[in-house]
Amino acid sequence: MDLELTSDQRAIHDAIVQMVSNHMDVPRSGATLKPVEYCYADQLDRDLAEGEFFSLALTEGCGALEAALLVYETGRSPLVLETAGAAFIGPLLTGRDLPRPVAVARLEDLTRAVRFLDRARTLIVDLGDDVAVLSTDGLAVEPIHSMFAYPLGRLMTLPDFTAAERLGAAAVPRLRRLWRVGLALETAAALQAAVDFTTAYVKDRLVFGRPVGSYQAVQHRLSADIQRVRAVYWLALKAAWSGGDQDAALAALYAQQAITPINYDTHQFNGALGMTLEHTLHFWTFRLRLLQGEMGGARTQAAATVAATWAGA
Amino acid sequence: MDFAWTESEQAYRAELVSLLEQQLPPDWWDAYAYDGPAGPELMVHARRFNAELAQRNLVVRHWPRAYGGQEASAWSQIILSEEMWSNGEPRSSLYLGANWAGPAIMKFGTEAQKQRYLRPIADGKLLWCQGFSEPEAGTDLANMKTRAEPDADGYVINGSKVWTSYASRADIMFLLARVGGSGKGGVSCFILPVNSPGMEVRPIPAIHSPHDFNEVFFTDVRVPADALLGEPGKGWDIVTTILHYERIGAARYEFSRRTLDRVVAHLKQRGLFDDPTVQAELATALAATEAARLLTYVVIDGRAKERPPGPDTYVARYAMVQADHAVANIASTYLSDLLTEQGDGMLRSHFTSAITAGIAAGAAEVQLNMISGRYLGLPRGA
Ligand SMILES: Cc1cc2nc3c(=O)[nH]c(=O)nc-3n(C[C@H](O)[C@H](O)[C@H](O)COP(=O)(O)OP(=O)(O)OC[C@H]3O[C@@H](n4cnc5c(N)ncnc54)[C@H](O)[C@@H]3O)c2cc1C
Repeated sequence: MDLELTSDQRAIHDAIVQMVSNHMDVPRSGATLKPVEYCYADQLDRDLAEGEFFSLALTEGCGALEAALLVYETGRSPLVLETAGAAFIGPLLTGRDLPRPVAVARLEDLTRAVRFLDRARTLIVDLGDDVAVLSTDGLAVEPIHSMFAYPLGRLMTLPDFTAAERLGAAAVPRLRRLWRVGLALETAAALQAAVDFTTAYVKDRLVFGRPVGSYQAVQHRLSADIQRVRAVYWLALKAAWSGGDQDAALAALYAQQAITPINYDTHQFNGALGMTLEHTLHFWTFRLRLLQGEMGGARTQAAATVAATWAGA
Repeated sequence: MDFAWTESEQAYRAELVSLLEQQLPPDWWDAYAYDGPAGPELMVHARRFNAELAQRNLVVRHWPRAYGGQEASAWSQIILSEEMWSNGEPRSSLYLGANWAGPAIMKFGTEAQKQRYLRPIADGKLLWCQGFSEPEAGTDLANMKTRAEPDADGYVINGSKVWTSYASRADIMFLLARVGGSGKGGVSCFILPVNSPGMEVRPIPAIHSPHDFNEVFFTDVRVPADALLGEPGKGWDIVTTILHYERIGAARYEFSRRTLDRVVAHLKQRGLFDDPTVQAELATALAATEAARLLTYVVIDGRAKERPPGPDTYVARYAMVQADHAVANIASTYLSDLLTEQGDGMLRSHFTSAITAGIAAGAAEVQLNMISGRYLGLPRGA
């Protein structure tokens, strides 16, 4: 067991962090009073593509863990970028790089609201008994506007899946496993960012002449929150490393369950300012709201955990 | 980054598993371990068991060879703890010596003290107890009053300790007593036999066990000068080191994890397992045990790389407390009849240990205080 990154992993990680750090600034909507739903990190996308970071999962000497680092580190930015589908789920599922962004959805969600679908160039669909991979060219996608800090879209009509590339029934558990890990990584990143942002805020904001963060009622909740965040991070990385059903389900379950208390606490401790669009908090917390229900939410992950752990016992 | 056990770590675990299979009697949980590692039957059994462990060099593999170890990495200590704690800790309080008293002696002791105590720990001969808490000094440990007055031959100790697990059957005590000033400044560490003249041990029956807690009274207990570990009045550094090793020492998450399997077996038998609400609770508890495991491994990874202990300890300890309670709550919700004397010894042992996890080794709230100060860097309160 060795929980430190290898020197190669460290180099990859540091390069990603460096690139992401150049893309942390959100255009200030406060100045124009024009609400910004989300900011897509187009330039970061180009920078990462140029460095071939989207191909880490399939690069010799690298794999799921390196791709996981990309998903996690990009997810900490208030700017949104689709990496879980393009760098993790897609390549590990199909063995090739897919045109990105990559949207991943269950059949029943396609006509509701799917993350990244209005920008996606590839769509991966969990059909229940098969997996379809299709280009979004020619699909009737309607953009959806929301408070959830993601580009969203839905299909106006369902495509003809018989004409799409089908990966077969055996790909269904593989897709779900990868999707759960991707989801846990994205969640870990947004949770960490929300708690970091809030920790910094409560150190500065004074009430009754003292920093908000000096009150034990606040300290204990944020401390319990950071425990949850670190747990999600490690569960997600372990799941990326092992590729196991149980690890993936556990990571997604713990991640989705951590969202409720952390969303509540971080918004509470930012007060009214946390509700404004000029404060960046919502870029993470509202993404988290959507991640909370993905793949059917914690209920589904719990069932998957139990199936992976005690089915035969 | 690699989450796999090495071959030698796997072999070490296999050796422990096979020893446990040989050495623990078939009625282990119901006749020995149902009451936790301070139970009288278990403590008697521990002396035989520890001798077997020692004969195979299994007690302190992670220690230097000079003190009976084999220079194995810190991972071997957590593997040992996973196998032992999840089996009701058949070493009893030998683990205090192996986990933190020994390392404290190794770091702060004189050569003579190392020779006197470390070998016997490696040989599985000493059952320890920890004389830290006092009626007015639990969380506020630096408020302790027990005094050690220097005299011509050493020190004379007067005062009392409380909640002292194992004391009525242990051989040796790691004691905090005050030499000189008040507060952290006067705290000093002593090691003395539990049967020292002037020491009186009175059991305190408790809901989690009739045998765990004791009160220990010291009336003019004379100890030689070399009973002192480190310098007089400078024991607080030793205490903080010890607390790191104590908080992440017992692999509580592994006991919770294995108990969950037992809970599932009972729930299946009772036809409750297929209920989606029950399944959600089981999965949530499992996620808590695995979260605590990984956060513990982060701490152990630091130890394996000889990094000084840091705030990850408190994060992991808090997670362990949550995991213990998550599993215990399922047992008491659906299987309370099995937590009775006629019930299932393993479930009972886990339950009674789990419900104290947030208090023993420092309250969970204290872990949160430490996380907020040391991990998050939040300002101190008024
Ligand atoms: C099973 C078990 C075994 C034990 N074994 C031993 C042993 O072998 N040797 C030994 O020396 N001691 C032992 N202890 C004692 C243990 O170390 C103390 O119980 C613990 O340090 C808490 O002290 P206290 O019980 O006096 O609680 P108090 O200090 O009175 O605190 C009560 C509660 O107040 C809250 N609290 C206290 N301080 C703060 C704060 N600063 N911020 C927020 N909340 C706070 C916490 O919820 C805490 O639980 C054992 C305890 C248990 C439960």
